[in-house]
Formats: sequence, C-alpha cells, structure tokens
Amino acid sequence: MKTRKNKKTEEQLEKLEPKTSDNLLTLKGVGKHYGSIIALRGVDMVVDPGKVTCVLGDNGAGKSTLIKIIAGLHQHDEGEFNLHGSAIKLKSPRVALDAGIAAVYQDLAVVPLMPIWRNFFLGSELTTGVGPFKKLDVQKMKDITKQELSDMGIDLRDVEQPIGQLSGGERQCVAIARAVYFGAKVLILDEPTAALGVKQSGVVLRYILQARDRGLGVIFITHNPHHAYPVGDSFLLLKRGRSIGYYSKAEITVEELTAQMAGGAELAELAHELEQLGGHDEELAEAEAGAST
Amino acid sequence: MSSITASPSHKKSTAGPDERVGKKSTLSILLGRPEIGALVGAVALFIFFAIVAPVFLSPASLATVLYGASTIGIMAVGVSLLMIGGEFDLSTGVAVISSALSASLISWYFGLNVWVGVVLALIVSLLIGFINGIILIKTKLPSFIVTLASFLMLTGLNLGLTRAIGGSVSSPSIADMEGFQSAKAVFASSVNVAGIDVKVTVFIWLAMVIIASWILLRTKIGNWIFAIGGDEKAARAVGVPVVRTKIGLFMAVGFCGWVLGMHNLFAFDAVQSGEGIGNEFLYIIAAVIGGCLLTGGYGSAIGGAIGAFIFGMANKGIVYAEWNPDWFKFFLGLMLLLATVVNIVVKKRAESSK
Amino acid sequence: MGKPTWRKLALTLAIVPALGLAACSSTGGRAPEPESNGGGGAVATTERIKVAVITHAAPGDTFWDIIRKGAEEAAAKDNVELQYLSDPDGGRQSQLIEQAIDQGVDGIAVTLAKPDAMKGSLKKATDAGIPIVSLNAGEDRFKELGVFAHFGSNEQLAGEAAGEKLKEAGLKKPICVIQEQGHVGLEARCAGVKKVVPGTEVLYVQGTDMTQVESTATAKLQADKQADAIIGLGAPFTMTLLKAKATANSKVEVASFDMNSQLVQEITKGNVLFTVDQQPWLQGYMAVDALWQNYRGGFTIGGGQATLTGPAIVDKTVAEKITSFAEEGVR
Repeated sequence: MKTRKNKKTEEQLEKLEPKTSDNLLTLKGVGKHYGSIIALRGVDMVVDPGKVTCVLGDNGAGKSTLIKIIAGLHQHDEGEFNLHGSAIKLKSPRVALDAGIAAVYQDLAVVPLMPIWRNFFLGSELTTGVGPFKKLDVQKMKDITKQELSDMGIDLRDVEQPIGQLSGGERQCVAIARAVYFGAKVLILDEPTAALGVKQSGVVLRYILQARDRGLGVIFITHNPHHAYPVGDSFLLLKRGRSIGYYSKAEITVEELTAQMAGGAELAELAHELEQLGGHDEELAEAEAGAST
Repeated sequence: MSSITASPSHKKSTAGPDERVGKKSTLSILLGRPEIGALVGAVALFIFFAIVAPVFLSPASLATVLYGASTIGIMAVGVSLLMIGGEFDLSTGVAVISSALSASLISWYFGLNVWVGVVLALIVSLLIGFINGIILIKTKLPSFIVTLASFLMLTGLNLGLTRAIGGSVSSPSIADMEGFQSAKAVFASSVNVAGIDVKVTVFIWLAMVIIASWILLRTKIGNWIFAIGGDEKAARAVGVPVVRTKIGLFMAVGFCGWVLGMHNLFAFDAVQSGEGIGNEFLYIIAAVIGGCLLTGGYGSAIGGAIGAFIFGMANKGIVYAEWNPDWFKFFLGLMLLLATVVNIVVKKRAESSK
Repeated sequence: MGKPTWRKLALTLAIVPALGLAACSSTGGRAPEPESNGGGGAVATTERIKVAVITHAAPGDTFWDIIRKGAEEAAAKDNVELQYLSDPDGGRQSQLIEQAIDQGVDGIAVTLAKPDAMKGSLKKATDAGIPIVSLNAGEDRFKELGVFAHFGSNEQLAGEAAGEKLKEAGLKKPICVIQEQGHVGLEARCAGVKKVVPGTEVLYVQGTDMTQVESTATAKLQADKQADAIIGLGAPFTMTLLKAKATANSKVEVASFDMNSQLVQEITKGNVLFTVDQQPWLQGYMAVDALWQNYRGGFTIGGGQATLTGPAIVDKTVAEKITSFAEEGVR
C-alpha cells in the first residue's frame, strides 16, 4: 500500500496484534521531565478507533509534550504507553508512523517551498524501476494526491504549486489527508484551528469528523473548548503538566468545560479586582458572567 | 486504506473546482523554474561579450570559456546540492587540493602505480566529507563554522604534509610514474569536437550535472534533500532520514572535489600545496547565481551549472574584451552582481505573473 | 549478518596482496636521497648561535623553498641554530620579529617587503644589540632601519634584464602574467620589462587556481594575436603558460622569472627562451653567513650597499650546466 516499513519496525510491530478487548492506545500515569523540569505527570488517556479524544489546556499545560511522546519525537520517563494492549516506547517519528500513529503539527510538518504532491509523499515516496535506476513515480503520486485531496473536499487543479501558497486551512487539510492516506490508525492534531478564522476552523472540524468516520482514533489538541466540544467524545484537561479532569461527553457540558479550563476561581478573582479598580462596567459584567457559570 | 470505506456523504466537496487556482500557461511554468533567472542572465552576458569582443564567438574561445566554467562547475554541482539541503561547505577549495596531494604524495612516496593513489584519494575525499557531516551532526554547530574549521585544518595539512613528505611546498612530479598517462587520458585530456580541442572536464561536468539533476528531481533522495533544506524539522517529523542524507551530501561534495583534484593533478603534475584557497566562495556564488537559495530548500543543479558558466564567461570575457587589467576584479564583481540582479528580477516577475 | 562477512573478509585478504604487487610503479617515485655536493663537510668551531630568518613568504610558494635551503646550508656549516618563520601580513611578520627578540636570538634576517611595518620591531632589535640583515626585498630602505647588509635582487632591475633579453630576441609585444594582483615585487618586475619593451601588456591571473591560470592565459593568447611573447613570474606558472600556449595554438615565445628543475629542463629543450634567476639560494645563504661573520669578528659585509644576488639570466647554455643543481633544489 503506502508506507515503507523497515525490517526492524516490522519485527517490533509483529508483537502488536490487536487484542479485541484492548483499546487502540492507552496512556497510564505517563510522565516526562526535561532535566529538572517536570513537563508532564500522571496522565491517563484512552484512544479508540472512530472516536475523538480532545486534549485541552492553556499554554504551558503540557499538551506539546504529550503529543511528542505519542508521535515518537520523545520517549516517556514514567508510566505506561500501550498500543493495542502492548507496552511500547516509540524511538522515532519513523517508528511511530510505521505503527500507524500520525501527527499533524501546528507548524504542519510541511515544507513550504515544495510542491503539494512532494509534500504529500514526503518520507514515503513511490518509486518505479529497479536498483540504482529507481525513480520517482511522479505521475502516480500526483494523481493519488489529487484524488485524496478531492476525497477530503479540496479540488486542486495543480498539485505542483508550492504548498506554501495554500491557505492555512487548506494546508491543514492536506496534512490530515496525508495522514489518513498513509494508513494512520491514530491521528493527532496539534492545535489545528489555533491560527484560523471562524469559517476555516469550521472546515477543519468537518475534516476531523471525516477522519473519525473512517475509523481513525483522533486526538484533538486545542485550547479552545468551543471547538473541542462539538467534535469530541472524551475530554482530557491538562494544567501545568497534570491532568485536572478526564470526562466523556455525557459527563460534562461545554460551559463546565470552559469554566474548568479558564479556571473558575481565577475569573472570580478577576471580577473582584476590576470591581475595586472601578469604572469598567462592561468588562466587569462579562467577567462576572463567566465566573458565575 | 482502512477496511472501512468512506460513505458517499463524506465524498461531497465543499464547492466545485477551486476557482482561485487558475490554469497555468506553459510559459509561466517555465518562468517559475529556479534556473530561469540565471539563464536570462547568462544569455544577456553572452550577447554582451559577443558584441564587445568578436573573438568571443570563435569556437576556440568558447572551448576556453567552457573549460574555465567547468573547473568551477564540477564543484558547483556538489555545492548546489548541499545548499539546497540547507548547508554550506567552506572547505571545498582546499579539499580539492587535498585530494590531488593525497594521490600524488601517496603514489610518489610508496612508488605505487598512480591509479592506486587515485583510488586512495577518492577514499580520502569521501572521508573528509563524512567527517564534515559527522561533526556537523554531533556538534549541531552551523555548517559555516564547522567547515571553516575544516578549511583551516586542511590548509595546514596540505602545507605541512607536503613539506614533510615531499620536502617542498610543491608536490613532486609524478609524470614519469606508471599509470600517469592513462590517468591523464581520463582526467586531463582533450576531446576533439568538430576540429576544436575541448577539455575533458567539460564533458565530465555536463555528465555530473545530468546525474545530479536526475537525483534531485526524480529520486526519493532528491525529495529528501529539498525537504531537509526547506524545513528540517518537518522532514524529520515525517520520517525522512535527515542525518544520513546530510552526511551523504557532504560526501557528494567530497566526490566532486576528488574529480576536480584528479584533473588538477594530471593536468599540472606538480600540485602547489597552497592552492585552492578562495575558490570555495566562487562555488557558492555559482550556486546562488544559479538560483539556489542561501537558506536552502530551493534551487537546482542546472542552475549551479549556469552560474558556473556565467562565471566562466565573465572571467574570460573580460580578457577577450581586452579591458584594462587593473580593473579586472571590479568588472568581474560587477558582472556577477548584474547577473544576480537579473536573476532576482526575472524571478519576481515570474512569481507576480502567476 | 555473521558468516557472509567472514567470507568476504577472507576474499579481500587474498586479493589485496595480489593487487598490491600489481600496484607498484617501476618508474618514478621517491628516489633514495641524492648526494648533495654541499653540506656534510666540516662545521665551524665557533659557539653555536641562534639565528631567526623571518620572511614574508605566503604559505606554499616554491620560491621560498630555495631561500630556505640556502639558509639551512649556511646554518649547518656555521654551527647555527636556525629558526625559519614567515607571514605575508606585515603586522604579523613584525610580531614574529618581536618574538625572536624575546627568545634572545643572536641575529635576525628579515625580508623588507613592508618596511614601515617592520620599523618598530627592528628598532627594538637594534636597541637590544641584535645584528640584523635583510634579504630579498627592501634594498632601498634597509640602511635607515638599522640593517647592516642586504642580499637580494632588485625586482625592477630583474624586469629590465628580462626586457633586454627580449629586445635582443626581437620581441616587441610580450604579455607579463602576474599571479597575484597588487603584489609589489611582481608588479615591479613587469614594470621593469615594460621600461625596456614599451609594448608590454600585463595579464592578471588567479594564482590560487591553476586551472584558471591556464584558461585565462589561453583566452588572452586567443584574443591577442599581436603578442609575440608571454612571461611567467614563477616557475610553476610558466609551466602552465606552456600548456596555455599549446591549447591556444599560439606561436609566442615563453620566458620566465625564478626557477625550478622542470623549468630548467624546458629551457634546455628550447621550449622556454630564458629565465631570470635572482639566485634565492644565495640570498638565504648569504643572510645567515653574514650574521655568523658578524658574530665571528664583527664584520659587516657590503660596505653599506646592497649585495646583489641577481639578476642572472639562465638561457639554454647556462641551463645545461646547472641542470643537476636545479634537480637538487638549490637553483
């Protein structure tokens, strides 16, 4: 099909046959420290096929560290990371990719100057021919890229244009389409809507649902609860490296989610401060409204 | 693809064909290529010298210009690939001489068939590239610094070892040794083309450009080179073997240095151990004029070749035009600047017209 | 990956010696040390003194090798401990002089390519009572800097001597090829030639890249059909000019400055008309010997005037006589 796997990862992956009772991906008490800085501690999470798990938290909450561990850029220092029920430590992004874990980063992991089709197949290029005369199967790659993108809803006549010329939302979609095409079982999306306008965000959220409907387990990282709630099935809240809550959709409302994230206590304090300073009635009213939910 | 097929409702697209992406004409596709600015610059320079110095157009002169271009061009091939991959190598100028000296001194000292020296010099050149790459990876210093250090070390080694082994600053003559004549035929002979003697380096240069272009545009490795130069983090994140590719690029530069070093050795026999210094910038200039971005991720081997050709034309053209030699260097700099400006102007036009 | 590697290794071990035997060259290569006609004789019985020879040699210039050989032979004969240092940068050459003073040498030999840069450190040397001679460059300034003797060849005079020889041969439009633009000595040589032969033209080439020297010279010969001679200002460069002449199918006569054994061979073969030799071996030898003479009896050779070591024209007849010396590396 698509991904080229090297012999080593084949051997490793042979051990990971899916056991029916196990979840796709589980984290139990996972932690990571950089020197003396504890970036993540005691995090539990479960990812299942066809479900979206949202990871929420403000800046510095440890979201990046979490994804980097799952995507193979870093290794966890404590806790268990299970894929199909077997413990695993991903040594590199290549190993993670071969295991079916694909990440779409905030900076997208696309090379702006390169054409869309080259980006699409980067690291997994299709070749024809034998031995030293192996060459890229350019036409095939261009065709597949066009097809996959159109399946996701982007119709580009020219996949030769540098990907840097696409809008932010389009680039996100190409990155998602790439991950889906290469047989990702787990798709991690790192703040895909952070830099996008409202309409573009809507487009991306729709693609998240499409990926979910194709049977992928999606991990959606964001600091915006209003984006997370409509698409999420479960929600993990992180704050300063620790989990402050792990809920399924049935257990929480969007307002509770927002309050938990924004920190209800902090908002109340802010309202009090503004009251003391005086003369900021509008801001005051807003803060009070936020604090009281 | 997963076994779950996407249901038809998910195949709906948001709109019809994306109306923002217009159809590109062949001309604008052509104008978008990285070499186009360099090509226009080269043509302009050619016409200029053809007018100013009629002797420029004679076949013998063109052969001379091509020779002058080829000795820069052979290195520009490797340096362009490396630059596209996002790195610099400042040790290239002296590495050429190191290669030539290795072949010469080893053959001479041990009384070996010169071809043995040639093979050992290849190993030395590849090793220099490998070491440059490894130090870069391990220290994570900018390649500018790493190769500046190796430039200084190689300069010292060239001088010191030549004196220590050969007794003077110039390597001893090996013209009377076995294998010299055959090696000379391969690396430093001339080929008669329609009555004109064209140096073999021109053909070697063209062959290298073709191979390098093929690697860059039609192989996996080429894709990786563009990616690493354009965004190394992104490349690593999708599983491109960054370390291996970078080291490979430095070794490719080493290979080019070997080719040119062998030409130097068999053309001039005695190698001056202090030579080579300053050429590294000419190779980089050729690559940049040819459209390679200094920041990496964009460019072509053909561009580097055109850049070398521009340099050859400017260099020799000034002589054919018989301008005042005191102003030589000034004219050369001016020609190069103009060629680069034309390059940029054409590129901007191409981008805005898309 | 165990067994196959062993088999490959064994195969390689078998092949390598066979290749090695085939690899040896029966011709050329390093010869046993030639019998030198100088040195190895009796050494002076004076106390061992320390002399520093500090030149402006750029690294890798073959010309200075010959000066060094002369200096080393004199040092061996005179029981002198020789320190040979160089730096083409005036400021840094001056610092080398100061270092020699700090080390308490008994004599200093310098080249005065940039006399003003040397002024300060040379004064320090004379104040410290260290005798100084100069060589190769600076014959018009040496006296005022406290230097008691100078051994060299006037570059301008050398150029004029070359010009005279060219005139004799009826050559009117020589091309004088300078491998380092801005080098005072090289420019002076061509200026000297031009003084005698007004039709002289200068061509600048990039001395650090022999392939560019060749292609630029070829271009010039193709462009300038009037030229009847071409002059190289260094033996290796003249060798390259011979190649350029062949490539350009030119009929120019080739002349040169300075010497090495290959050039001498070309002169005997008649491919090079002549070379102007400033006898650099003498410069190195005389500089060291003069300092020893000064130590031995306070002698100051030269009578306040520069002692010229050249120019010496080496044409076919002379070349035949000195071929073996050129091979030895002293000429």
